[in-house]
Amino acid sequence: MKAVCWMGKSSMETRTVPDPELINPHDAIIKVTRTAICGSDLHLYDGFIPTMESGDIMGHEFMGLVEEVGPEVTNLKRGDRVVVPFTIACGNCIFCKKKYWAACDNTNPNAHLMEKAYGYSGAGLFGYSHMMGGYSGGQAQYVRVPFANVGPLKIENDLPDEKVLFLSDIFPTGYMAAENAQIQPGDTVAVWGCGPVGQFAIASAFMLGAARVIAIDRFQERLDLARSLGAITVDYSEEDVSVLTALKDLTSGVGPDSCIDAVGLEAHSNELQGIYDVVKTALFMETDRPSVLRQAIQAVRKGGTLSIPGVYGGLLDKVPFGAAFGKGITMKMGQTNMHNYMKPLLERVEKGQIDPSYIISHRITLDQAPEMYKIWRDKKENVTKIVIDPWA
Amino acid sequence: MSSSPLTEKPYVEDLPRSTGASVVVSGRYLPPPEDKDGKLWVRTSALVLKDAQVLYAMWRDVEAAPQWQEHLVEVVETGPGTSRWSMRTSNDDDSKVITWESEVLADEPGVRIAWRSIGGDVDQAGEVIFDAAPNGVGTVVTVLQEFRMGKLASAWETLVGRNPKQAVIENLRHFKALAETGEIPRSQLDPHGDRGVIGNFKRSSYGETVPTPTGGN
Repeated sequence: MKAVCWMGKSSMETRTVPDPELINPHDAIIKVTRTAICGSDLHLYDGFIPTMESGDIMGHEFMGLVEEVGPEVTNLKRGDRVVVPFTIACGNCIFCKKKYWAACDNTNPNAHLMEKAYGYSGAGLFGYSHMMGGYSGGQAQYVRVPFANVGPLKIENDLPDEKVLFLSDIFPTGYMAAENAQIQPGDTVAVWGCGPVGQFAIASAFMLGAARVIAIDRFQERLDLARSLGAITVDYSEEDVSVLTALKDLTSGVGPDSCIDAVGLEAHSNELQGIYDVVKTALFMETDRPSVLRQAIQAVRKGGTLSIPGVYGGLLDKVPFGAAFGKGITMKMGQTNMHNYMKPLLERVEKGQIDPSYIISHRITLDQAPEMYKIWRDKKENVTKIVIDPWA
Repeated sequence: MSSSPLTEKPYVEDLPRSTGASVVVSGRYLPPPEDKDGKLWVRTSALVLKDAQVLYAMWRDVEAAPQWQEHLVEVVETGPGTSRWSMRTSNDDDSKVITWESEVLADEPGVRIAWRSIGGDVDQAGEVIFDAAPNGVGTVVTVLQEFRMGKLASAWETLVGRNPKQAVIENLRHFKALAETGEIPRSQLDPHGDRGVIGNFKRSSYGETVPTPTGGN
């Protein structure tokens, strides 16, 4: 089969690799009908996430048709149409029972690597480094899905793939970000980053009762999408715009009730700290560039909530923890507990409350994927979301 | 001396019994034994959402141990409480196989098992205890294992992917996954593109060349 392989930093190649096979009794093989490149895949492309190996098959957002199931898979059969969550959960450990699916105890075969870095290991993820399990991803024609009784969501309607594909990661991730923001009716919420997760966080913040959402980015196409959802936009790249002043001006001097960092570890900044982080990460003196995190901690109101769906990987420098303490803020974060959100959000799509396909800007083939990684990373061609048809 | 609120610790409960693998003794946390005099120790524990009797039976079924313990080739029961174990010394199918005899020293169904080697290529002893979890949900499985090995050998094993201390930790992880889910998650056989020299070196240093036990599949 064909698959997009990570071949080193800034190097993706579409290769012919062996087809996946059933390994364990709860496995299913999925024939991928649509897959996507996630913003977090760019962190792998740029070499920010350790423990990638040459030849790794990328991709954790995918859906398709069940091709084959293992002997213990009871709720799926060949031909079923499914969306697969990017986190792999066993369903039987204490964390799955408590619905912290992303913290599953059993699905990371390389848990010891994550334990060294993080103390304890979370769930295995598709196509997201060997520290996260070493599973092959879904930017391919076929993929093996472990614990198929637990993860895949059956799609039993005739909605096109593009309307349900993002239930695999970014829609639930944006939704959990809004839920983690602890929004009360009438609140003002600030969202940094108007990429796909930011978009769904904005839409979800309104669903959860936010009166106003302030969206921060520097790309017009993304700010246009954010305004189409009803957000007020702040373009931080404009001359004379200070995000902190803007947020103060827009909240009667109080600050946003909740802030959502939908940017994560490769933040860009036009302030001096931006240069500081580029230099320190280049010298391996810090692993992440947390300029949005710093700004969000500064910006949030006293007693407010900071929700962090953006991915962080390692050690962060100069995080203003004194400000966080001084204002008594709450921070909530982490990989998405996908399995809690897929079904309720599918219902919202079925009822026509949201059409997640509005963020798609590019539709490509597997062979075009390596070039598109570069184009998206370099912020060219107004990319908002890239969807791949593995059979085109 | 009379007890006072300051010396009483009502929130620290002793385990119902105290054994070599105990973590709390008389209200005090007990660190694992120190490595010395050529002996290495490892203590590790896991919360498993299964009944203690079920887990005890699974651990006691020594002939099924190769399903969840790394590098084991075969275990044969040779008598009541004795067994012969054979294990590969590296990750290759044709690598040298070492063997040893083992005897059970303590066998309390649903509570604990202790064992030691009695001759052969390995000098080791161990104990596993099964305790109800503090909140009543599941069983805490604690393993204490002791073995003799030179520091150099230990360092070398670490370099090729798995030192024996880590192997004990991984084996308990496999045991828990098998008990809770009926399988041991594996990603080593997933398809991939060309690994190259660096990719293969990484696999080895991440322990990914140690074959994950099949869980009986």
